[in-house]
Amino acid sequence: MSSVRVLLRHHVRLHRMPLVPLAAGLAVFEWIMTFVARQPTVSRFLTSALRAAPPEFLSLLNPDLVAGVSAQGIIGVGYAHPFALLMMAVVAVRVPSAALAGEIGRRTMDLMAARPVLRAAHVAAALVAMLAGLAILAVAAYAGTLIGLAVGPVEGVSALRYAPVAFQLWLTFACWGCVGLAASALCREAGQAIAWTSGLMAGSYVLDYAARVWTPLAPVRPLSLFRYYEPQRVVTGGLALHDVSVLAAVGAAALLVAFAAFLRRDL
Amino acid sequence: MAADPFPIRASGLGKRYGAVTALEDLSLEVGQGEAFGFLGPNGAGKTTTIRLLLGLLRPSTGEAVVLGKRVTRSVAWRGEVGYLPGDMPFWPRLTGQETLDFLASLSGRAALARAGLLKRLDLRDADLARPVRTYSDGMRQKLGIVQALQCTPRLALLDEPTKGLDPLMQQAFYDIVTDMRRHGATVFLSSHVIAEVERVCDRVAMLRAGRLVTVGTVVSLRQAERRRVIADFTEPVDVSALAHFGDVTASGDRHVELLVPQAQMPALVARLGMLPLADLLVERPTLEDAFLEQYR
Repeated sequence: MSSVRVLLRHHVRLHRMPLVPLAAGLAVFEWIMTFVARQPTVSRFLTSALRAAPPEFLSLLNPDLVAGVSAQGIIGVGYAHPFALLMMAVVAVRVPSAALAGEIGRRTMDLMAARPVLRAAHVAAALVAMLAGLAILAVAAYAGTLIGLAVGPVEGVSALRYAPVAFQLWLTFACWGCVGLAASALCREAGQAIAWTSGLMAGSYVLDYAARVWTPLAPVRPLSLFRYYEPQRVVTGGLALHDVSVLAAVGAAALLVAFAAFLRRDL
Repeated sequence: MAADPFPIRASGLGKRYGAVTALEDLSLEVGQGEAFGFLGPNGAGKTTTIRLLLGLLRPSTGEAVVLGKRVTRSVAWRGEVGYLPGDMPFWPRLTGQETLDFLASLSGRAALARAGLLKRLDLRDADLARPVRTYSDGMRQKLGIVQALQCTPRLALLDEPTKGLDPLMQQAFYDIVTDMRRHGATVFLSSHVIAEVERVCDRVAMLRAGRLVTVGTVVSLRQAERRRVIADFTEPVDVSALAHFGDVTASGDRHVELLVPQAQMPALVARLGMLPLADLLVERPTLEDAFLEQYR
């Protein structure tokens, strides 16, 4: 256990600097979304624009965007916006890729693995570092919303509604982080692991979006992990057990692959 | 529990990468307190052997037992091993001090030898306070030696330990190895520098293309080599009469050079005494001669 703590401190030392601007950026972004949601002209403009649109066009639109015309919805859009997703993706890709494949590629893994440390400890430390980093970002996002709504309350909108959204945001990217950990355990260079993880993530995002706007693709939408992250539905209906279970199961499966691969491979 | 008399035991150890054989059927034992040299040209399998001994690679055949433990079965034994990789890798943003502290905490043992090593290798506090990315190659190598030996290991696996060190620091390193052995530590040293192995090691193994070519004491390997005999005469002689003592490598009317097995030396000297000898030089073979003989 102590070697996991030592490795965890090592990961914190390597990743703490980038984490600060990412968390600050996300917090400011979600605060700005509460500011936008308070402007009556913004939601009025969006509502009238959508009323003017033909129904065929509306059916092509992302449901998150359609729901986002209310003040509550606009704040929710902040959690599905590509900027927020990108901030989370940086940690979900960077930390696991650097922790295993990155150390192997730089040969520094030789220095660590030549010491009395179980290989499982390397995977466990990378996992904890990644989950903690994502938690800091999710908390920062929620703090942005909380502070924004505390400073300028919006009628009928409670900050508590966004706590489960922040949780689901964390869970979704924790799942991607586990996929990244599996890629990292199988690759020899950080670049390879980053390419695989971000490629899968981008492909999954595009698939989800395409399946929403183009009916023939709808049956394959469950194959995308982003299908199980729908902030607007969480804001209105709370966490969906099915979505949470799928994300947790995929994350656990990827984690098993990471442990099995790293324990057996040549370093 | 009594210490294993052989801190390193390898039997039939081999490593293949697809069709490429990096190491084949390596069997050797290294005794407690011994300094063991591992010689071979690039790609001979020296680094692969060390990485197999540390459990960084999984063997394709055979097994290695280090400090009495099968390397693939447990990790606790690694706390008593110091390892210096051939190309010293580091975390560029970490300072020298942070690097040493981190690696010592992973070893789980106090870095009792650190202060002494830093002094002998002339690494100062100001150097350790700087990020490793600002270090010269020699300083990185010195830091590498300190991280490998700071926790007073019972077994040191050192891959090209003096690479990038100036002659003064090389001498300091040899003194460190001598002191380690005085305290009972075992040193396994892989090197291209034959003079270094000859100077530091008791026994030597030579690898070629992943196979063990020879293993023995430095003295026995030297003695197995033929002596170079150079004789000059005051008058012309028939040098063909000397050819049965060994190989004639150069000859003239009054000059001959031969490579002669040690067993033939008394007979050759007796025969030369009957000739009009002007000068005689017998060169003692070096480990380098033995090495070159193996790889020709």
